[in-house]
Amino acid sequence: MSSSSRGLLLAGVGGQGVVLASMIVADALLRAGHDVKQSEVHGMAQRGGSVFSHIRWGSKVDSPLVPLGSAEVLAAFEWAEALRWVPYVQEGGAVVADIRTIVPPGACSDRRSWSTRYPDVDAQVFDCRHLKTRLIDATATATELGNVRAANSVILGSLAAFLDIDLLHWEAAIEGLVPRGTEEVNLAAFRAGREVADARLPRLASAPEGFSGPHEIDIRHEWCKGCDICSRVCPEYCLELDVDGKLAVVNAKACTGCRLCELLCPDFAIEIHPPPAPVVLGAPVLSR
Amino acid sequence: MTDVKSYLRDWTMPHVLCPGCAHGIVLRAFLEAVDQLQLDRDKLAMVAGIGCSSRLVGYVDFCTLHGTHGRAPAFATGLKLARPELNVVVVTGDGDGLAIGGNHLIHAARRNIDITVLLLNNAIYGMTGGQAAPTTPEGAVASTTPAGNTEPSFDACKLLIGAGASYVARVLAATPIEMTKVMADGMSHRGFSFIEVLSDCPEYYGRYNNVGGGAEMLTWLARRDAGVAGPLSSKGFVKHVPSSATPAGMMTGVLKREARPVFAGVRRIEPDES
Repeated sequence: MSSSSRGLLLAGVGGQGVVLASMIVADALLRAGHDVKQSEVHGMAQRGGSVFSHIRWGSKVDSPLVPLGSAEVLAAFEWAEALRWVPYVQEGGAVVADIRTIVPPGACSDRRSWSTRYPDVDAQVFDCRHLKTRLIDATATATELGNVRAANSVILGSLAAFLDIDLLHWEAAIEGLVPRGTEEVNLAAFRAGREVADARLPRLASAPEGFSGPHEIDIRHEWCKGCDICSRVCPEYCLELDVDGKLAVVNAKACTGCRLCELLCPDFAIEIHPPPAPVVLGAPVLSR
Repeated sequence: MTDVKSYLRDWTMPHVLCPGCAHGIVLRAFLEAVDQLQLDRDKLAMVAGIGCSSRLVGYVDFCTLHGTHGRAPAFATGLKLARPELNVVVVTGDGDGLAIGGNHLIHAARRNIDITVLLLNNAIYGMTGGQAAPTTPEGAVASTTPAGNTEPSFDACKLLIGAGASYVARVLAATPIEMTKVMADGMSHRGFSFIEVLSDCPEYYGRYNNVGGGAEMLTWLARRDAGVAGPLSSKGFVKHVPSSATPAGMMTGVLKREARPVFAGVRRIEPDES
């Protein structure tokens, strides 16, 4: 990146107002007299895609894309997105993140215990790169102000603390761009975001009781008649009939212990055992 | 929770029922209900007549009585009067209970004797070769109705409500948890409890009517449920099945519950009597 231009990044999941927020940032920068380029992608962050926006500004900007490791600030609207985009932030840069977690369906590993492969909310992950952090609960702040959808303005307020743009430009940009009738609440949310203190990080949850890995599927082959009901009802596709009509477990790890196959087996041929020994999941409790 | 398989006479297993026959699912749900209620297995008597469903009593480790065709409610009435401390459960099928033993069933209901009747309705005579039963829906193919059934079919629950049963419910074999709940509820009810289970017969009904095997028939059964089929097809989640073999939607759940004097031979037991 040339020395004349600087960059920032906004990231979130669909529906959080990332694109609108990035338009407001770009507009405020324009009003402050910078040359600004902005580029956004909105593609289903919860399903493996990404919802983010690059913004570069300065006296002269040639490309809107912020190179890896060179953004001054990352504003993340969701915890996992903060972790995902943090490599774009330069050493000593800043991260503004909402600590709210939105667990995508694909990260849910056991529907009975609601255990997930979602990363823990833990500020220490930013320490190694000497990042300044501001971890807030924007959703709670916006809800207190009466409109949960103003959460993006709360994040903008926190972001503004790291940018040297005059408050007037910010407020003009917000008033000009938010939907008619929501100017008041968005301005209030923006001001609240400037002042809001870091949220208390949730204590890391211990492993839900009763969960300790996949369940064991026990097939009593001499009773099984190969009617195929179990394999057809299994939501995780754990069971399959082979060419001889003999039932086989094809994906033992995916079993969530819903017991549909056991309950719907007319021949009492399937038994689901909870895993033998409990395994302690999760990191130690973070004290703060 | 005990393993329900401990209630089986396991030397008789695997049972005789065809692959995909939901009667086994019903039996399992029933055993779960027995387990939930913590019934003493020596104080539980299961009475059956003849038919696929009636075969179930051969596999359970309770007191069991395998009687003559259609006469299970009559045997059960006698048993309950002689041994009122027993929990008496009749397992019958649609042909056994509604055609051949129709009279015994309605009069047991009229008397409101304290027994539970599980009627496993697979809409056909399975054991004898797929003949049309009184529950075979209009238009459905059976071995005796190769061009489609021309007779209207029975709504067993409406019949039993009319006959005076004090507890009437209908459940789907495809919903085992609800089935267990209703069975436990019905067995706890004091008076005549009638529970119709919509079961399947993939071997005859499914094959003759091109419904498919066990898994397909369970799905098809769920669509027979008016409470399920209506909303699902109106939202386009499932294709409405216009086949002539599909009977009109039936409501599931507890359809009637009433406290009424219970028949106990020379005297009757009032609802508030302990």
